[in-house]
Amino acid sequence: MIEFKNLSLTYPNGTKGLKNINIKINEGEFVVIVGLSGAGKSTFIRSINRLVTPTEGDLLVDGENILKHNGKSLRELRKKVGMIFQNYNLVKRSTVLKNVISGRLGYTGTLKSILNMYSKEDMNMAYENLKRVNIEEKLYSRADELSGGQQQRVSIARVLTQKPNVILADEPVASLDPPTSHQVMTYLRQINKEDKITTIVNLHFIDMAMEYADRIIGMRAGEVVYDGPVSEVTEKTFEEIYGRSIREEDMRGGAADDE
Amino acid sequence: MTNNSRKFIPTSLYPAKTKRIITVSLIFVIGFYLVSSITTESFIINFILKASNITDLIARFFPPDWGYVSNVWGKLFETIHMAIIATTIATLVSIPFTLLTAQNITTNKVLYNFMRFLLNIIRTIPDIILAVVFVGLFGIGMFSGIIALIIFSIGILVKLMSEIIEAIDMNPSEAIKASGGNTIQTIWYAVVPQVLPQFISFSLYVFEINIRASVVLGLVGAGGIGQLINKEINFLNYPAVSTIVLIIFAVVVVIDYISGKLREGIL
Amino acid sequence: MTNQIPPKPKKQSTFVKRMLIAIVLIAIYTWTIASAQARIDWGKIFSIRTVENFDRIIPKFFDPAFAETGTIMEKMIETIFIAYTGSLAAAVIAVPIAFLCASNIVRNKFLNNVGLWILGAVRAFPEIILAIIFVAAVGPNPFAGVLAIAIGSTGMLGKLYSEVIEGIDMHVVEALEASGANKTQIFFYGIMPQVLPEFLSYAIYRFEIDVRASSVLGIVGAGGIGTLITFAYLNRNWEEVGMILLAIIVVVTIIDQISGYIRRRLV
Repeated sequence: MIEFKNLSLTYPNGTKGLKNINIKINEGEFVVIVGLSGAGKSTFIRSINRLVTPTEGDLLVDGENILKHNGKSLRELRKKVGMIFQNYNLVKRSTVLKNVISGRLGYTGTLKSILNMYSKEDMNMAYENLKRVNIEEKLYSRADELSGGQQQRVSIARVLTQKPNVILADEPVASLDPPTSHQVMTYLRQINKEDKITTIVNLHFIDMAMEYADRIIGMRAGEVVYDGPVSEVTEKTFEEIYGRSIREEDMRGGAADDE
Repeated sequence: MTNNSRKFIPTSLYPAKTKRIITVSLIFVIGFYLVSSITTESFIINFILKASNITDLIARFFPPDWGYVSNVWGKLFETIHMAIIATTIATLVSIPFTLLTAQNITTNKVLYNFMRFLLNIIRTIPDIILAVVFVGLFGIGMFSGIIALIIFSIGILVKLMSEIIEAIDMNPSEAIKASGGNTIQTIWYAVVPQVLPQFISFSLYVFEINIRASVVLGLVGAGGIGQLINKEINFLNYPAVSTIVLIIFAVVVVIDYISGKLREGIL
Repeated sequence: MTNQIPPKPKKQSTFVKRMLIAIVLIAIYTWTIASAQARIDWGKIFSIRTVENFDRIIPKFFDPAFAETGTIMEKMIETIFIAYTGSLAAAVIAVPIAFLCASNIVRNKFLNNVGLWILGAVRAFPEIILAIIFVAAVGPNPFAGVLAIAIGSTGMLGKLYSEVIEGIDMHVVEALEASGANKTQIFFYGIMPQVLPEFLSYAIYRFEIDVRASSVLGIVGAGGIGTLITFAYLNRNWEEVGMILLAIIVVVTIIDQISGYIRRRLV
């Protein structure tokens, strides 16, 4: 369980990234955070694995206040909280397999990882996870030989190899075309349901949020302005969150009604 | 599930072929290092064994003989003058050669390839060997050094510049040709404006190189401050040598700084 | 009139600037030419003796002493060994210094500048001056040459490496941080794969330069083929100088070709 208690973040230059957030996210939930760019979605997500550090309040992950973490305890936190990025953030010149196995770094001794000494179980896990996102035949390709959608699938495999309890995804489909976006979201959703991994995704697109989320949190100017199950969300809710009427660019379109 | 024993598990992060290539290359690199470092008596151990010599030497070089400074100026200015003259002449002379070695200007394949070949050969000859040759021809002194530097600089300048010219936008030159311009007009109106800033910048860069080069030409009698170094080393007058070296250092740093600022301003 | 007002003040300052540049340039050139005039004995240069030198020396260059091939190749191999040992040492020593200089890795402006300052200082010295110093320290042998090459190359490689490091994709580092990797693991998994090909490419490029550089270090006693140049030159043995030159041209060209091929395949 992840719990935000009166959480605020003020940047050194005085701007407020987050304002007094109070949210509880339960185990296994698939939460989509929506909002305009600059609304604080990314700061919200990055607080959970402490890529940014909130300045006030408490943030509890599995009952521990993670704001106090540093060094070893911070790495322990990051082992159980995996993250997926907008630009995949793969090492472009390394092989797909090496990128995926780097999800094990938190579990592997420094010397062993430098000498590429991984146990059979780790290698097997990496390969199985590649299979899960249907990209196992590319295991020895260099990451930069892959298309954007394929790279994002590799980064999902990397996160799975980390065996996380929580997956954070920061605009995972913003750089992809509509069909590939749906494919990536479908994988995330499937993993969330099968492995019971709490998943928190930042999205800009309303239609995708509606289709994949269990629960929607709306943010504006660093504040949570909406929080509720997807069934209660209407177009009007989004207009309130965005503070303006809905436009074409807020929709991804594409394969939404395939199923 | 059905055939568990044959289930594929990758055993390595790299494909077997990559692994082989890396292993073979590593063996070659290390093997060649062992051979070359042992024959030249510069294996890692030698560094440790000779460390005391080097620290001893540093002690001998210090403190620099500041009284010697007044002896340095004449040769130092000679060095700078050699570099100025050589860079200026080389810049002017390299213009026609540059055009002849740019594929998009010189469309004659035979001429182009011949010029390339010639320049590649010139660039393989170290500056100091050019100086040896010209000292043999013209006798000891600054003149031989200047000629050596000119030839040396042309090699560098033409190479750098012809690459820039080959990368220019050819559309303006087409437009000028289309409106009836001849070759010289085309070059003047379409090529020169595109490459002039780089050309000046490279000339300044070559000037920096020439300052360093003209420092050493004196070692073989081709003028400049190198002659002084040679003399004082032979007399084992190390404090004087360190004075010269420190002055060279200061001059090189100052000239690089000025030239760097000018180049920044131009580009 | 109203149309001319805006550009006017700018024009004036450009004019003043241009006048200043012109005055400085005229002053530098007057000084240079005056000093060159005073130092160069034109009568001696354009004398019968020079003509005789040309007649005597030039033909000998085109009649290289092939009989000496054995000795010369032996020294040429020593030259390559010196260059290789020195380059490899530099390629390794430059890595930690480059990381110290890279502002995206070491977030301490002071340390970055100290590193850059050291590298800049090293680059200000021509290799052959370093060689003179090391010959004084460890005696006239190839080891002095290796030291000179190693230190000189570290100056350049450190600078180039640090630029490569500053150009890497830091998002990858963030991703590894987010997965709980420690600093050493981030270095080996996130940073090294991004920079290694460029590091290697620059090291090989520097080896090309070092082969040229080490072929002249022998002139000051630091081993390699340069040793033969001094002897041949002192004995006015121009056939041998011609042969040495030929050997340098051939070997340098071959090494450039090989290294160019490897570098194209690396990145």
